[in-house]
Amino acid sequence: MTLLFDTGYLFVRALKKLVRNPILIFFSLFQPIIFLVLFTQLFHSLNELPGFPPGVSYLEYASAGILMQNAFSSALQSGTSIVEDLNSGFLPKMLVTQVSRPAILLGRLVTDAFRVTVQSIIILILAYALGFRLATGIPGAILILFIIAFFGLAWSGISLALGLRTKSSETVFGIGAFLTFPLLFMSTALVPLSFMPTWMQYVSKVNPISYAVNAVRDLSVPGFFSWNAEISAIAFIAGIAVVTIGITLYLFRKVIS
Amino acid sequence: MSSSQSTATQPIIQVKNLVEVYADGTKAEDDISFYVNEGEFFGFLGPNGAGKSTTIKVLTTLLRKTAGQVSIAGYDIEKDALAIRKLIGVQSQDTSVDPELTGRENMILQGNLQQMHGKELTDRVERLLEVVGLKDAADKRAGRYSGGMKKRLDLASTLVHKPKVLFLDEPTTGLDPQSRNTVWEYLEELNKKEGITIFLTTQYLEEADRLCQRLCIVDSGKIVAEGSPSNLKKEIGADAITISMQDKDGRGGDSVKAAAKQIVTALPGVVNVVESGDGLTLYVKDGGYFIPELVRAFDKTDIKLVSINLSTPSLDDVFLKHTGKRIRVEELVKQGPSGRFGARRR
Repeated sequence: MTLLFDTGYLFVRALKKLVRNPILIFFSLFQPIIFLVLFTQLFHSLNELPGFPPGVSYLEYASAGILMQNAFSSALQSGTSIVEDLNSGFLPKMLVTQVSRPAILLGRLVTDAFRVTVQSIIILILAYALGFRLATGIPGAILILFIIAFFGLAWSGISLALGLRTKSSETVFGIGAFLTFPLLFMSTALVPLSFMPTWMQYVSKVNPISYAVNAVRDLSVPGFFSWNAEISAIAFIAGIAVVTIGITLYLFRKVIS
Repeated sequence: MSSSQSTATQPIIQVKNLVEVYADGTKAEDDISFYVNEGEFFGFLGPNGAGKSTTIKVLTTLLRKTAGQVSIAGYDIEKDALAIRKLIGVQSQDTSVDPELTGRENMILQGNLQQMHGKELTDRVERLLEVVGLKDAADKRAGRYSGGMKKRLDLASTLVHKPKVLFLDEPTTGLDPQSRNTVWEYLEELNKKEGITIFLTTQYLEEADRLCQRLCIVDSGKIVAEGSPSNLKKEIGADAITISMQDKDGRGGDSVKAAAKQIVTALPGVVNVVESGDGLTLYVKDGGYFIPELVRAFDKTDIKLVSINLSTPSLDDVFLKHTGKRIRVEELVKQGPSGRFGARRR
């Protein structure tokens, strides 16, 4: 019960901080929106190339990748918040209260998931305005939001672990930025697998982003959906989340015990 | 003392043979033992690096001790950490308020995390805001507060859940004299009117002297003296005369100091002579009568007295007597506290 309440209090706190710092949301939404508005227009004729799924517009194709990009660019900020609490003395101050220890992490993760969901809704609405129509309608949108939030959590785990390990927000931010683009480009986020050189195809096939993107794309492009692919993608993301959040939990216990 | 012998006068804080060794081998606490009685205003006085903050971290469940026994209100620090957190309030050396929350929100959150809710909490918060004089600024974000206001908010937020024991780690470091006075008055009131036991660390002699009913003087992880400020000073049993001197060419230095030391040590009535800074501190029975003697003694030599300063003994003299050093107060340069909290773990 305490866990639930404390998670709630810390969720509300994080939300207030976020609303009072809209610049953070702006930063993590800026890139995806640029991609959505400019990139999809710039490369709109990409769908005429051989190997591109026939009858699919580039906007329809890339939206899945852009949603995912949004998920990790905001999740990557997660670790900086815990570093901030660690260094400002706010975390020690919490730790001398009766607060439930797991609630400190859980509050953070719930906030991240909430934030990614809200940002994804904004992007979906923008994409809709640009002419993007979800093949699977509202139920599909809900499943998409679920997958993205889940994937965001896996990334928050990495970011939080980095924060707890290095205790430096610059490092967290730097490593995050360093990972983002290579992982994004070497995945099926923006182009089909057949567009890539052979070596990159190998990378893309093991790249977790590809799995998450494909799961979202199967829900957004007509004729792509299959339960099998959906379930295996979710299982894969869940596996990653369990590992990264597990590491975070371990490091967190080390820091606070 | 075992718990079966517990009486009304059993200390609320009991520390026995506490040892704290950091991962890098530094001995921050070297076998210290002390107690604090319920309702007492107790202090740790010592210079930076004496191990004061480490003691507070161990006593407030933030840092696991290497060895020894610590109990608060009869609860064991490791077995009953949660019960202890319910009873204590802690103000750390670094002011830690959330800059993006308002003063009121900071306090409500703190109360929530201490499992207080509803009207009981809001009433308490309003009262405390009034007491620390932040009522008018309560809806401003704490990031916009001045340093003194942040300290007061921090202090108030540690009091929301009505702690029985309050730990204050250098509560007035970095405050201007006026704010310092306000904090002192408020702390005295808390202790006297609300009966809160206070454990305070400080490097300010004046602060320890004014506030603490009993104190430990600490240096390099050891307790070097313990008692009430007046008793500690009485132990010196003499007045302190601090002198500085030069040779006939106007130079100071160790050889002059050594020569002067030889002269004054031979004088009647001198209890003790300690080197301090560029001069000497002599402890003598009747300082006022001794000064003419002192001046005459140097008249016959090549050494010239530059200054003579007579004082009744201060806690600094107590510190000097036990450690051979004076407490040097360094205004803390704000270093990133990351190292302090982060690197301490083994």
